[in-house]
Amino acid sequence: MATKGPHNEDPNDKALNKGRREFLKHSSLLTALAVAPPHLVKAAESALDEKAAVYFEQVPLSLEVNGVHHKLSVEPRVTLLDLLREQLALPGTKKGCDHGQCGACTVHVNGRRVLSCMSLAVMQEGKKVTTIEGLANGDQLHPMQEAFIKHDGFQCGYCTPGQIMSGIACIREGHANSDEEVREYMSGNICRCGAYPNIVKAIADVKKGGHKL
Amino acid sequence: MGKNFFFDRNEPVPIDRVDGRAKVTGTATYAAEYKTQQIAYGFLVGSTIAKGRIKSLDTKMAERAPGVLSVITYLNAPKLPGYQTGKDPSKPPTAGQPLRIFYDNEIFYYDQPVALVIADTFERAVHAATLVKAQYEKAVHQTELDANLSRAKVPTGPRFEDYKRGEADAYKNAPVKIEQEYHHPIEVHNPMELASIIARWEGKEQVTVYTKTQGVEATQRSIAAAFKMPLENITVNAEHIGGAFGMGLRTWPYEIACVMGAQKIGRPLKLVLHREQMFTNVGHRPETIQKIGMGATTDGKLVGLTHEAIADTSSYEEFTEATVNISRFLYACPNVTTRYRLVPLNICTPIWMRGPGEATGAFALESAMDELAFALNLDPLEFRIRNHSDTDPERNLPWSSKHVKECYEMGAEKIGWKERKLQPRALKDGDWLIGYGMGTGSFGAFRGAATVKIKLEPDGKLLLQCSVNDMGPGTATMMTSIASNEMGWPVNQIKVEMGSTNFPPGPTQGGSTVTSTVGAAVQETCTALKEKIAELAGKAGSAFQAVKAEDLKFSATGISLQKDASVKIAYNELLTKNGLAALELTRESKAKQQQSYSMYSFSVHFVKLRVHPPTGRIRIDHVVSCADAGTIVSPKTAASQMIGGVVGGIGMALMEDMVIDHRFGRPVNNNLADYHVPVNADIPPVDVLFVNKKDPHTNPMGSKGLGEIALVGVAPAVANAVFNATGKRIRSLPITPDKLME
Amino acid sequence: MINFEYLRVSTPKAAIEALSRDNTSQWIAGGTNLIDLMKKGVMAPQKLIDISNLPLKEIKKEGNKVHIGAMALNSDVAENELIQREQPLLSLALAAGASQQLRNMATVGGNMMQRTRCPYFYNTDLPCNKRQPGSGCGALKGFNRMHAIFGASDKCIAVHPSDMCIALAALDAMVLVNGPKGDRRIPFTDFHRLPGDTPQKDNTLERGELIIGIEIPDNPYRKNVHYLKVRDRSSYAFALVSVAAAMDLEGGTIKDARLAMGGVAHKPWRLSEVETWLKGKSVSDAVFREAAQLAMRGAKAYGQNNFKLKLAPNAIVEALKAATQKT
Repeated sequence: MATKGPHNEDPNDKALNKGRREFLKHSSLLTALAVAPPHLVKAAESALDEKAAVYFEQVPLSLEVNGVHHKLSVEPRVTLLDLLREQLALPGTKKGCDHGQCGACTVHVNGRRVLSCMSLAVMQEGKKVTTIEGLANGDQLHPMQEAFIKHDGFQCGYCTPGQIMSGIACIREGHANSDEEVREYMSGNICRCGAYPNIVKAIADVKKGGHKL
Repeated sequence: MGKNFFFDRNEPVPIDRVDGRAKVTGTATYAAEYKTQQIAYGFLVGSTIAKGRIKSLDTKMAERAPGVLSVITYLNAPKLPGYQTGKDPSKPPTAGQPLRIFYDNEIFYYDQPVALVIADTFERAVHAATLVKAQYEKAVHQTELDANLSRAKVPTGPRFEDYKRGEADAYKNAPVKIEQEYHHPIEVHNPMELASIIARWEGKEQVTVYTKTQGVEATQRSIAAAFKMPLENITVNAEHIGGAFGMGLRTWPYEIACVMGAQKIGRPLKLVLHREQMFTNVGHRPETIQKIGMGATTDGKLVGLTHEAIADTSSYEEFTEATVNISRFLYACPNVTTRYRLVPLNICTPIWMRGPGEATGAFALESAMDELAFALNLDPLEFRIRNHSDTDPERNLPWSSKHVKECYEMGAEKIGWKERKLQPRALKDGDWLIGYGMGTGSFGAFRGAATVKIKLEPDGKLLLQCSVNDMGPGTATMMTSIASNEMGWPVNQIKVEMGSTNFPPGPTQGGSTVTSTVGAAVQETCTALKEKIAELAGKAGSAFQAVKAEDLKFSATGISLQKDASVKIAYNELLTKNGLAALELTRESKAKQQQSYSMYSFSVHFVKLRVHPPTGRIRIDHVVSCADAGTIVSPKTAASQMIGGVVGGIGMALMEDMVIDHRFGRPVNNNLADYHVPVNADIPPVDVLFVNKKDPHTNPMGSKGLGEIALVGVAPAVANAVFNATGKRIRSLPITPDKLME
Repeated sequence: MINFEYLRVSTPKAAIEALSRDNTSQWIAGGTNLIDLMKKGVMAPQKLIDISNLPLKEIKKEGNKVHIGAMALNSDVAENELIQREQPLLSLALAAGASQQLRNMATVGGNMMQRTRCPYFYNTDLPCNKRQPGSGCGALKGFNRMHAIFGASDKCIAVHPSDMCIALAALDAMVLVNGPKGDRRIPFTDFHRLPGDTPQKDNTLERGELIIGIEIPDNPYRKNVHYLKVRDRSSYAFALVSVAAAMDLEGGTIKDARLAMGGVAHKPWRLSEVETWLKGKSVSDAVFREAAQLAMRGAKAYGQNNFKLKLAPNAIVEALKAATQKT
């Protein structure tokens, strides 16, 4: 995976560069892990290569998404959601609120459902991420995907990837033992079209099917 | 076509959503997700005042921030030719001057865009947007409906004048009467997909946009008007829409801003609103105060009904909806008066939200019906039956079809209405009070014009094309279902392409018209295709000489004679013999002028719920929704649409409320944590029952619209059930725990 | 959001050291509140120190205490077998908060550190003394439906939003803290503070002090416990009022009780006086009602939240009743 290069950097932006240099100076002294490779630290400290400094706004990140290893370089402020949608061309994970209030961005990280909009990409170092694009096995849909089609668990389809990721986790966690429990444990995924009763049916169906998820 | 109507032959087989696979695999592409090279990202900066002028704008910091490509404000925005004339840059729903984005320094509402910051990454655009510094000259804003009632005015449009049938305000003299005021706050559509657009110019003349619109052609026209461009130079795509519920029924200023921005930077531009901006910049269901006066004879016959409504609109446009109109026809009543007023406020122009004015009006009317029934000591269902309108009392026409009484009957049976007690607080389950309520809904059964192109491939694959799009109801599924039935072919042989101005013109998705309009066009186009196949068969071989379509049996591979199945020809041979690679034809279809019937869909919603008086908590136990929507064309998606309307109605009844702090003229709960919409745990099992009887007059399939009536009447059903449970009549939505606890 | 710097640390010592070097830095663990606040521009640390990998995730029995590491996830604690058996009130409170996705991200320490959800705090163009001391309290005469009825000041009427903390306050938990000046133990009820004149301070931590974990001493509240959360929708919403109730019953007599409320104050609102009063009383609705009235002493509402003056005592009665009925 290619590293994104610097963009339109304005070398005259003194305020920015000052902060960056200060960071470089003390970051190399930290007992904490400094994430910059040493030759870049040197290059930037001596201001020989302003362009190199851009790399300090980005940090290396290695993670696995749907079984594919990615070695990336990202700005720390990039969320996992935006990384997936805008940089890894995986727009199946949806942005609904960007504030942890709707569940549309639900993905699995190391097998557990989390909100990718509230997760910094850099904090996923070494982790395994599964998105909606990673569920089907070729043409063979995941049982939860099948069940959503069968029970019409969606209309516009926008919350659907999050619902499906959440639904799978709901069963795995052991929270699908009754319709009432499913409703409670699926309440972090808002569906504005109002497909809830059908979503509950789909999850109950998969649970009953006893598939290994 | 003769009597060869769609469902005369066979009941539709419920089919799975044809775009289901794309939606469950994450491959359905929504507006912000189209791949395009060198895309730049925009972010809007909004005003922090609700009225006044921009005194100064400092964009230097933002322009110098890393990755920033451009900052557009009224100071440097390209002068759009459509803006200069002062006319119609983004078609207004009614009278007024639509907001011209970055046109001048005037501020009409809080969070009105004052700058568009464009950068090479999303993060950089968002950050740079925080660096734009604006100074304002504040003026006194008005955002409170209640405080501005003295400014209420009759809308300028002709449909909204005061209405009087019989004697004005005759309810006042009735032996039994009620007079009540109902209120609901601003609601916001909040589809899960954020308002999004990508604009890409090819040279200076051509632009392609991917946007969240319910009508690609309407958007095309709006862009054409703003930029004074020929329509054919503008392509608008909106194949999948992540819900809209009305907010995509017009072109909003942010869309024009994106097209403008993309032109300025000479790169494709993506602009996605933040969720907070969804509350302030793309419309809302207006706050409405309604008064109902209703009187009846002691034996429960309506004597008079007066329905008044006052709603908000923006300070620059008049937004109107049919809030009071439902009172003119839903019940037989000799004396009906309706009055409708608007109050301009410093707020974004409202836009129709699912069920629109009818849902607002039905909350008042159907609550009042329940109140008067109680005053009469009558079962509210019985009261409605006694006042059933057998013909349309407003237009004095017969209904094209009306099966509301069947809805009453089947719904009452299913919900267990006979368990209901006339007196409130009569049913208990432990500490919880149980109540039953019902409400009626209606919406016009309109049909517009659509053109469908059909293509038959040699291998028997059918391709249907129309510009109409699908925000969720299942338009492509409906089209496939109709074509499958008409041709007698399996659904997997049929493909639908839609949601683009590249395809033949179709209607905007709204007002419950799409099945009627596009479905009819699909059916008529299929009929024409069959006739054409018969004609080609005649030319292809003597065995088919002079055959008519009805003499033929159509299968997915070829045709045979009805009377002799051994006489057959495959499509590839048929096409080859006629020197054709494929068979294509296009048909326009529209309603014939139909003045002799009044056409409406109807719904009846039944709710059983429980209330916990010490804490005011409400749990809905069961909902039964019955629809008289003519023939149900696509049963599976239709049932889902009904359930969705119920969920929306529950939101309206119990939780939705955008709160404005009038001191600042801005919403304070403009996010999905504080503006509550229903979650899964709020929603009980919902049973959907269809009368499923063909309307002989609406369209060839006999269908009527469904999308609005699914929601219209749900909120009063909930409020009425709350009264039945608790004896508390809540006339101001939403019904939150604080209003019920004792 | 500014493009902050990012560091990853793997020991509490390194975390404390890294933070002390730079007063524009901030720790991040689950991020479910901090990232939200950074996106809103309410907080703008120039450096984030990632402490999510600190080895502080254990949930274990230590002598006569349950120890929960600060980095333990909310869902892990809620579903932990030890917690469910010995501290079921905590499990119930955790399950009532947020959504499962958020509980899978949020840590115990982070939950304690979450800021108020007051809209005036969240919106940087509105006045808020907590965000910008001296700018005024927007909620005082504004949208204050969700706000405090106990212990507020004219500077701030915001409430603490956590459910977990209500249970921990009731359970006499102890907060374990490491800091540049050494280690401390803070009683849970002293951890969060009332706004007074300095609402910008949510709690009594000094800058640079890191929550290492919490301890809950053994208690008899294994059966008759209830967490009642009244909210505007059935799930995934903040409390209008919540009550954590625990009782040690012997026949019909209350040997001991614990009671705390959420959604009513700037901190978890422990009702120690009511607990003392309940001791030795017989279980009855009348006793619970009297207890609830006692709990409301000193309550004050601000307009839109007047209903809490009635809802709160009702909720106390209901929570006590429900706890009694557990079998």
